[in-house]
Amino acid sequence: MIRFLIPFVAVVLFLLEPVFALFSPITFGDQTVFLVPRFVILYLIFISIYYNRGRAILYGLFFGLLYDVFYIDIIGLYSFLYPLVCFVAGYAVKFIHQHLSVTTILSVLLVGLMEILLYYFFFFINLTSIPFTDFLSNRLLPTIIANLLFLIMLGWAFKYLINARVLQRADDIS
Amino acid sequence: MPHFTSKKLILLLVGMIFLVALISFSLRDRQNATLPEQIIKDTVGLAQSIVAKPANYITNIFNDINSLLTTYEENKRLKMRLEEFAVLQAEVNTLKSENKNLRELVDKETSLQDFNPLYATVIARNPDQWEEKIILNKGTAHGVELNMAVMTSKGLIGKISLVTPFTSEVELLFSNNPNYRVSAMVQGKNKDVFGLIEGYDVERNELLLKRIDSSLDVKVGEKIVSSGLGGIFPKGILIGEVTEVTTDDFGLTKMAYVKPSADFSMLQDVIIAKRSIVSIDGSDGEGTNVDLTNEVEESTADEGEEK
Repeated sequence: MIRFLIPFVAVVLFLLEPVFALFSPITFGDQTVFLVPRFVILYLIFISIYYNRGRAILYGLFFGLLYDVFYIDIIGLYSFLYPLVCFVAGYAVKFIHQHLSVTTILSVLLVGLMEILLYYFFFFINLTSIPFTDFLSNRLLPTIIANLLFLIMLGWAFKYLINARVLQRADDIS
Repeated sequence: MPHFTSKKLILLLVGMIFLVALISFSLRDRQNATLPEQIIKDTVGLAQSIVAKPANYITNIFNDINSLLTTYEENKRLKMRLEEFAVLQAEVNTLKSENKNLRELVDKETSLQDFNPLYATVIARNPDQWEEKIILNKGTAHGVELNMAVMTSKGLIGKISLVTPFTSEVELLFSNNPNYRVSAMVQGKNKDVFGLIEGYDVERNELLLKRIDSSLDVKVGEKIVSSGLGGIFPKGILIGEVTEVTTDDFGLTKMAYVKPSADFSMLQDVIIAKRSIVSIDGSDGEGTNVDLTNEVEESTADEGEEK
């Protein structure tokens, strides 16, 4: 049961992302703020940290490809970045304390890093022309804050779910 | 750093080359989806439309509550405009019948304004909002074609940029694509002024109407509608309102800032407009460097006579 729950949650998060994207952009006075939901990759980072790095990279490749084909139409962008982020997360976990608050901050920072990489890519192919300072204030910071809120609300649930799977797997082996 | 063996390194390099090739391949051809792409798009689209339904329902409830709170104010304002509206209605009716009669007189049946509306629901919006794009639940199976105009009840929002059998993608007007132009006109009191909607101003969040003849006068507050002369869109779809008029970058033509009339942040139900008169899609379609006008005359000789 839990075995299938892990990919199922990823699929649900993937489908929820565009629904939350409908609320963006939000206008505060004279400033327009973009909130980018990054639920899938946050979840995959958690899988990478608490469960299995290889599995996370595989999921990252799959969902990255879906993302590319369905939304971006540039195949190879997210299907490269998602596994990369999972790989880095799985690598970094050896050097950090695996407390929930630490992993939350790490995940959000990685998402911020991914945003910056994406910004440079889209800037490079002329899809966007906004200067970096505008990107920082209108996109990156709001996105990081919104995703941090999301993780604070649901991070413990992810951890609980993944731990349940890890325990179940240990039972299966023994 | 993790230890790399030479085998892993080769794999990584091959992967990188494959990746760059894939990216450049998909960047080059962005108007047609290949078969595997179409299958993925349709499957994800189906799942997405199932999720979108309850989500739309919930947002509708919030909107209803919001409009309920402002009912009193709105009612007051609407009552004031009601009398005005009755007069306007009568005027529109006379103009309509007059237009019809005149049209019969000159034997001109089809007009640039005519279009067949096709109602669609937004099932997703590109979550990383780098490229302003929405995905609709209607595709080629329902008669959607590339480059059709997409609008809400308030005004034009974009055009179809990619279709699969059951979904279609809309590129919104707020686009950085330099090839994305909409032939538009300013509805003046006496004379229509033509221009092109080209790009947008990031800071002001307003569209730019460029290439207006500098001898013509455009005033703040005038309405911008699509002109139908681009060959694809129907005529007369409202785009927005002029907020400022300046000169162009080179000082040769005028440029106007246009505040779009449609609300781009919460798109749910849209109308796809297929214009009735024959459309010439030029370099937007597959007809780059092809003599389109002669071909059209040959293939649709009847319509040519009507004009």
